[in-house]
Amino acid sequence: MFRLFRFLKPYWWQIIILLLATVLQVYTTLRLPALMADIINNGIVPGDVGYIWTAGLWMIGLAIISALGSLISSYFSARVGTSYARDIRKAIFVKVINLNILDMKDFSTASLLTRTTNDVNQVQMTTIMLLSMLIRAPLFCIISIIMAIQTAPDMSWIILVGAVAILGTVILIMSLVIPKFKIFQSLVDKITLITRENLTGLRVVRAFNNEKLEKEKFVKANDRLTKLLIFIDRILELQNPLINIIFNGTTLLCSWIGISLLSKNFAYLGNMTAFAQYVTHVMISFLMMSIFFVMFPRANVSAGRINEVLGKLPKINWVKKTNGVPTKTPEVEFKQVDFKYPEAEEKVLDSVSFKAKAGETTAFIGSTGSGKSTLVNLVPRFYEATSGEILVNGLSVKEYAKDDLIKRIGFVPQRGILFSGTIKSNIKFGVPDASDEQVKRASEIAQARNFIEKLPKKYDSHIAQGGTNVSGGQKQRLSIARAVCKEPDVYIFDDSFSALDMKTDKKLREALKEVTANSVVLIVAQRVSTIKDANQIVVLDNGKVVGKGTHLSLLKTCKIYKEIVKSQFSDKEYAHELKLAEGVKNA
Amino acid sequence: MHSPKNHKSMLKSFKIFLKSIKHHRTPIIISIVLTVASAILSLFIPKLLGDMTTIAINSYPEIDWSALGQKAIIIIVLFCGSAILQYGQAYILAIVSARYTKELREKILDKISRLPISYFDKHQYGDTLSRMSNDVDVLTTSMSQEIADISMSLTTLIGTMIIMLTINIPLSLITFVVVPISVVVVARIMHYAQKYFRDQQNTLGVLNSKIEEDYSGQIVIKSNSYEDDALADFNRTNEKLTTVSRKAQIFSSLSFPVTHIFTNLGYVAVCILGGVFVVRGQINIGDIQAFIQYVSRFNRPITEIASTTSTLQSLLAASERIFDFLDEEEEEPDLVPAKTIEKVKGEVEFCDVSFGYTKDRTIIKNFSVKVKPGMKVAIVGPTGAGKTTIINLLMRFYDPDSGYITVDGVPTREMKRSDVRKMFGMVLQDTWLFSGTVEENLRYGNQSASLEEIKRATKMSNVSHIIEALPKGYKSLISEDSDNISAGEKQLITIARAMISNPPMMILDEATSNVDTRTEQLIQDSFEKLTSGRTSFVIAHRLSTIRNSDLILVMKDGNIVEQGSHDELLKLNGFYAELYNSQFAEN
Repeated sequence: MFRLFRFLKPYWWQIIILLLATVLQVYTTLRLPALMADIINNGIVPGDVGYIWTAGLWMIGLAIISALGSLISSYFSARVGTSYARDIRKAIFVKVINLNILDMKDFSTASLLTRTTNDVNQVQMTTIMLLSMLIRAPLFCIISIIMAIQTAPDMSWIILVGAVAILGTVILIMSLVIPKFKIFQSLVDKITLITRENLTGLRVVRAFNNEKLEKEKFVKANDRLTKLLIFIDRILELQNPLINIIFNGTTLLCSWIGISLLSKNFAYLGNMTAFAQYVTHVMISFLMMSIFFVMFPRANVSAGRINEVLGKLPKINWVKKTNGVPTKTPEVEFKQVDFKYPEAEEKVLDSVSFKAKAGETTAFIGSTGSGKSTLVNLVPRFYEATSGEILVNGLSVKEYAKDDLIKRIGFVPQRGILFSGTIKSNIKFGVPDASDEQVKRASEIAQARNFIEKLPKKYDSHIAQGGTNVSGGQKQRLSIARAVCKEPDVYIFDDSFSALDMKTDKKLREALKEVTANSVVLIVAQRVSTIKDANQIVVLDNGKVVGKGTHLSLLKTCKIYKEIVKSQFSDKEYAHELKLAEGVKNA
Repeated sequence: MHSPKNHKSMLKSFKIFLKSIKHHRTPIIISIVLTVASAILSLFIPKLLGDMTTIAINSYPEIDWSALGQKAIIIIVLFCGSAILQYGQAYILAIVSARYTKELREKILDKISRLPISYFDKHQYGDTLSRMSNDVDVLTTSMSQEIADISMSLTTLIGTMIIMLTINIPLSLITFVVVPISVVVVARIMHYAQKYFRDQQNTLGVLNSKIEEDYSGQIVIKSNSYEDDALADFNRTNEKLTTVSRKAQIFSSLSFPVTHIFTNLGYVAVCILGGVFVVRGQINIGDIQAFIQYVSRFNRPITEIASTTSTLQSLLAASERIFDFLDEEEEEPDLVPAKTIEKVKGEVEFCDVSFGYTKDRTIIKNFSVKVKPGMKVAIVGPTGAGKTTIINLLMRFYDPDSGYITVDGVPTREMKRSDVRKMFGMVLQDTWLFSGTVEENLRYGNQSASLEEIKRATKMSNVSHIIEALPKGYKSLISEDSDNISAGEKQLITIARAMISNPPMMILDEATSNVDTRTEQLIQDSFEKLTSGRTSFVIAHRLSTIRNSDLILVMKDGNIVEQGSHDELLKLNGFYAELYNSQFAEN
């Protein structure tokens, strides 16, 4: 929590004004009871109407100053609080957007989202409270004590009694209740979990006719939660009545002691009322501080979660200006590339080497966990190779300025990700100044033109957040169009054809052939049919290259490739493919 | 934030809310009575304290301790009594609201199980979930707060006014003039504050969806160098949020200093005028002291009543959302008496079935097919062709608009839904498992299955060695995001689950991706075992599965365009042939 206070630094002078205004407000507010005591002692008792008026006007003046102080301090606490929250939100956003993909994996999107909004709100609220209350409460407390002692020194022990009683009550109740809150939270989570499962598993629950079973589970958790809730409330609700007893009791005590002291000093007649008010102020300040200590732990957890994100250091450093001149002909080359996750033992990629030439398609295949997706992610430096060298157009990726490298690469991720906007804005995402002709051509190649032009608003059709208003296959085609529109040197398809049916898949690959005549194409695929025609197929197993060649040559030489083909083709087709492969040898 | 649309709908949801809580009226009325009694008791305390001062002065310097003691004892009795009554009402209210919460949650869960599947296909889970948790919480907490606050405030307000009037009429009138002004001003401020709070909520929503989009699309942002544009966009919304939330903060924190000014003004007026009156002998000092206390008590209930409107609004918004949900149209009830099938042979017939998810778009038109017992039916077609529609109709997740489906000659529409679903086992791509042990999950379709039976099924579905390799074997916990079990293994478990329930017919959905070759073979193998001897419907992606089927249904754009065996369909040389050849074009 305190580590985040560095974000308050730009607002130091506002905080100082806030502090001064608070002091002013507290002081003037607390002067009022003393003045009232004066009116009673020096005005009413001797019957001096003139004094009453002067003191009265003083009181009005003080009341106005006090209100002003309070206005100023609330204004600045709102200003500081919201600016502070804005700055933290921005810092998190900048951090996340610049984190590399690998670090992103440490958090889920949902958790990052909570950190950027809810957690920041929590911290903002607590910081505003800290700025206004935690300064005000102790100040109120201390000044009240001083003034109370000044007005009625003989009665000052009552303050101690009141304060101890309040603190004791709050601590007692909290110590009984707080341990139960953890159980409470876990039961609430349980109920949410059961409900969630009932929603996500709706079809399964109904298919097995298990509505009753689910209800029983729910009722059990719900009953436990209700019992616990009643138990907690029974204790918690004690707090207010007890505090009322303490407040009233203290006031009575003040009157009683004050009256008994009248013979010693008649001024106690006015002073005991003022004193009672000061004591009440002291007790209220203690209550306020105790609220803060209930809030603080929650905010602290939020602050910890925020710091976790802010503390991440970007692991990839880009050079400002590209060192050296890349060749004109596109080319991608891996030289003895290793990759492993920072804390992991095992390598994900183990000395991978290959060369992908312009006008050719290089495909990667292997089972899940073979490292094929990681491999293509190294090219745009989403991940950083642990050792070895990756060359794009003859130049190591590390020598490129960020934009220089990215503009050469058209990357199509596994999931078709779209942004809210229009179809056009999505296709032009990487090239803001692309012409309508380019957009049309890109859609044509990505086999998206047909469905786009059937829509009433064609390329200006609205895309909802997350692209929920287009189907999975359409999303995939649009995200391919987005890459094609860039006319990059290197195309990377990270298993991007999986949502397409085989027919569209085939048509698309044919159309791509024309535009990629002068580009490098890297394809990660699950389906053999997608990559059969590739100029070069790289077979990966556990991060190692176990085969390199064309479909037919691999069928002869690579055992793992044969296994993959066999699992996807029927026996007859497999036999046919093998025969073809033999034919190559015989020819 | 959801806010009630207009007064009429607000009134309507309020009425429904009152009706739903009607059976708790006795404890609620008792708690209101207790609140009123408690407030009345504490009303007399300042007056009695003032009396003590008056007694002391009148008998000064000989203080009448016995008379003072009597008053003190009455005061103690009053405030203790008041506290006990206050606890009593809080206790009763806590129990009522806990029970009411429980009832609402159970009603919502029941509703979930009675709503048609189509509701959940149209609404997001998060929405239903938030009705169950947030809205229920808001409704019940603001309800008990409102009941306690309003009765307490009204009693205190009226009581204080009466007592003030009995003490001194002119002084009371001054107070009564000042306070309404402050109420009007505060209500005005609150109105603005609420407006800005709503703005804040809306802007926060916009910001949230922007962040979510950027975070989840980070890979696309990175591969198109879009970071700076994303940040600029974020900054705009972030800035707007800061401005509105600053306004909301400032306006809401204004109410405190403003009431403060008015309180103090009232205070000072009472001091000055009261002082003058005492000097003239029109009132005694003790009464002035009491009066000052009443002035400060007078203010609180007024600000509280002013703030109830916002609580009331959120209460109404929440109740509207809850009761709208509970009011949704339910599934058509099962026919009584429903038909049953003694021993299912597995003959399924679609007779002239037409169906559309929406009225204006029929996607299955006059479809008829007869499936003989034990037949294997493959459903094929491109993505988004509506293959799952067939499953939805078979399982009666949806009912046809016209025509009917029969099993062994009995129309499924004339059977109980639960009986229809009992006839089918279902294994979907979306492998839903609930959080619990592996064994509990396996038993989900057949609670009475013995451990032997379970083990036999897991062996058949090739998953026994995987389960047994887990640290706790069959007792291992599976949770929503458990990574100890892969997607493919989860599917194997769902296959075993279907085997254990041992239904006469099967519905299967083959996985497309994310499963490695080895696991895929295991799945394939256990699918084989699962379907042998059973009438089964398979959404097929693999040509090997398709070719081994007895009947193929070819779907395109939601329609069944062709049906027949593999060879028949190839001869037809239509869409199926095209689909098939796209993979083996060169064959």
